[in-house]
Amino acid sequence: MESGDEEGVEKRRVHLRPDTLRSATPATLHLLPCDVPVNRPAPVGSFFTPAIRQGPEGLEVSFRGRSLRGEEVEVPPGLAGYVMVMEEKEEVLVRKQGFPQGSDNDEQQQELLEPPEAALERDFDRVIRASGSFSHFTVWGLETAPGPDAKVRAALTWPSLAAAIHAQVPGD
Amino acid sequence: MADRLDYGEGTDAQQFVFLLPEYLKDTSKKMKTGLMFVKLVNPCSGEGALYLFSMCLQQLFEIKLFKEKHHSWFINQSVQSGGLLYFATPIDPLFLLLHYLIKADKEGKFQPLDQVVVDDMFPNCILLLKLPELEKLLQHVTEEKEIDKKKYYKYSREKTLKWLGKKVNQTMAALKTSNINVGARVQSNAFFSSHQISSDKEEDYICYAHGLISDYIPKELNDDLSKYLKLPEPSASLPKPPSKVQIAHWFFLNGLMYQGNILYHFTALTLQKVKLSHEPIEAKEDYTKFNTKDLKTEKKNSKMTTAQKALAKVDKTGMKSIDSFFGTKIF
Amino acid sequence: MDLGKLETDNTGRCRLNSPVPSVCRKEPCVLGVDEAGRGPVLGPMVYAICYCPLSRLADLEALKVADSKTLTESERDRLFAKMEEDGDFVGWALDVLSPNLISTSMLGRVKYNLNSLSHDTATGLVQFAMDQGVKVAQVFVDTVGLPETYQERLQQRFPSIEVTVKAKADALYPVVSAASICAKVARDQAVKNWKFVEKLKDLDTDYGSGYPNDPKTKAWLRKHVEPVFGFPQFVRFSWRTAQSILEKEAEDVMWEDLSTGDQEGLGRITSYFRESPRNRPRLSHRYFQERGLESATSL
Repeated sequence: MESGDEEGVEKRRVHLRPDTLRSATPATLHLLPCDVPVNRPAPVGSFFTPAIRQGPEGLEVSFRGRSLRGEEVEVPPGLAGYVMVMEEKEEVLVRKQGFPQGSDNDEQQQELLEPPEAALERDFDRVIRASGSFSHFTVWGLETAPGPDAKVRAALTWPSLAAAIHAQVPGD
Repeated sequence: MADRLDYGEGTDAQQFVFLLPEYLKDTSKKMKTGLMFVKLVNPCSGEGALYLFSMCLQQLFEIKLFKEKHHSWFINQSVQSGGLLYFATPIDPLFLLLHYLIKADKEGKFQPLDQVVVDDMFPNCILLLKLPELEKLLQHVTEEKEIDKKKYYKYSREKTLKWLGKKVNQTMAALKTSNINVGARVQSNAFFSSHQISSDKEEDYICYAHGLISDYIPKELNDDLSKYLKLPEPSASLPKPPSKVQIAHWFFLNGLMYQGNILYHFTALTLQKVKLSHEPIEAKEDYTKFNTKDLKTEKKNSKMTTAQKALAKVDKTGMKSIDSFFGTKIF
Repeated sequence: MDLGKLETDNTGRCRLNSPVPSVCRKEPCVLGVDEAGRGPVLGPMVYAICYCPLSRLADLEALKVADSKTLTESERDRLFAKMEEDGDFVGWALDVLSPNLISTSMLGRVKYNLNSLSHDTATGLVQFAMDQGVKVAQVFVDTVGLPETYQERLQQRFPSIEVTVKAKADALYPVVSAASICAKVARDQAVKNWKFVEKLKDLDTDYGSGYPNDPKTKAWLRKHVEPVFGFPQFVRFSWRTAQSILEKEAEDVMWEDLSTGDQEGLGRITSYFRESPRNRPRLSHRYFQERGLESATSL
């Protein structure tokens, strides 16, 4: 999210389309133990997926001639995994023009503060949507399985601790 | 383009991998808009941080980012660099309100909330005013007055410390039921004082919980909280060089161990030794023996010392290669 | 040769063997070791052993086995068929080392070079024959490297056997020639019938000899390079030819054990220790640091 305007004030909002959280199609994710410093299409289904083997100590595959060991990791209960993509400006405009001036939209507008600057969506805002959803992913380690001590596994414990930290304290 | 993405095909676009609370999905039935990422203040640093705001749930979520060097994603038929994983978890909005209340307290008077929560840098802070039961929340940290049915608030340090004390308590309770190792620098202890095997004590829990809470409050308040909780003097409050423990911890995080005049670097299967001074070095244990070139012979000669075993067991993830450190190749 | 076992999984190591002739369990035997497909950038490397009783060596010679390189493919096939017919006194076994196994070994965190891989495979096959009850008395091994150290290692490993390691042993000793024929027949067949692990469309199987200097092989490599995955597993990624094509035509890939001289660590350590604590950004709690978690500041 770049600065909202020329003064560097962080005005801009990135609207996540709630309906895309339901329409997102299941996605397959692999977390690799190497960086490929590029975002681009890759024939994962032709090169990678068919080469995965169930070995005695978990999943096995190779990538660029290096051996990987992997395991499935579940998204913690109560959470859902999403892949999100930013919409291009043109897409946003098309959507806006096509927006039905239906009743539920009007209701929302009335819920909000009336001054125009308080409108939820402004022209300079951006839109992001969920393109894929997932409930598990495969974590790969270089030559050895990531195991219970993998950092990403430890990171997955954060939501439950966060819930405890941020629960309202009982009043006096 | 949208269709192509929806069918899980390859894409050049940047993709963000997120974990969100499941219930956010249900809000989509009620509202077509009103779920948005905004930049608000980080109440600890005062700098900007990303949050997710749900109009429908009237709830604020903080966004944490999992980031480990040398990672990337395969997402359907595409590759995404970085391997980042974003977490959205509910945050107690009072931490953010507190930031503004403390700032406004410099005026020393009671003020209405909409005059307190103002921010030139992060104008989206007005969204905080839309959160539910603010009056109830504010009772934890303010004195209030009501004039002509309008409420006026003033920051109360005493009430805030009491509230934070409760926060620390509930965090401690959660830590005790978790597997989280709260002992003082337990991981480093394994290398620096093996005799001092720490079992998690009450004090460790309170320090750890306080440490977590301190990530959500300004430094001054944090120092007050330490005193309030009667914790040992926090080293961070004094302008002094990092302690040995801090250095050790930093080294540990980067896959290094320092002992005598020798800097050790541990990776999955090898342990490297780097001479740091010109003085003669006498290692008590020959760590280089562990650095055998051939996997086969290594298995045969697997008589490791205790220290080597400990090192071999260490979580290797996220450690830096020493190459990157000294700009030379070791292998 | 029935390579069915290889075709079900050609990502690792595959061992094939003839039944052990009963005479080989009773009489002292001579055993030859040779390899095929060491040099090519494509396909597997095959290590083979062939053995017969010392008393029947003349019968093996009578088959007119010779160094496989001097024979045509059909002559090799014919000779292998003859050896199979003589299964009452000739036995063989072989290891097919897939290109994937070769790549992942040579490119491992702990490098496992081709020589060590070869030696260990040869040793494993001799041991396999002994485990099956073959009375191995003499072993002849062809080598590309220095024979002395290799011979010493093998002799130490098998003290009761008379070991001879020699360059061009495949031309000198019929039992090594026989082994070289087994290896070459298996390698040729494996390459010809290679089942690509990848689901590839428009796959061109005209890859030439597989040797790096063969223009056909080079052209095939260039044609089949994929920017993210590099090559199919049929290619030995550890070969310089493959690596240099990847450097030019594929995306970079950064591994934790092969970092490319970035100075981030140096920068961080100096800023961490030298700057005054006032300027130092307050580090997040160790809970977050240990989990690679930080506050997101942007999308």
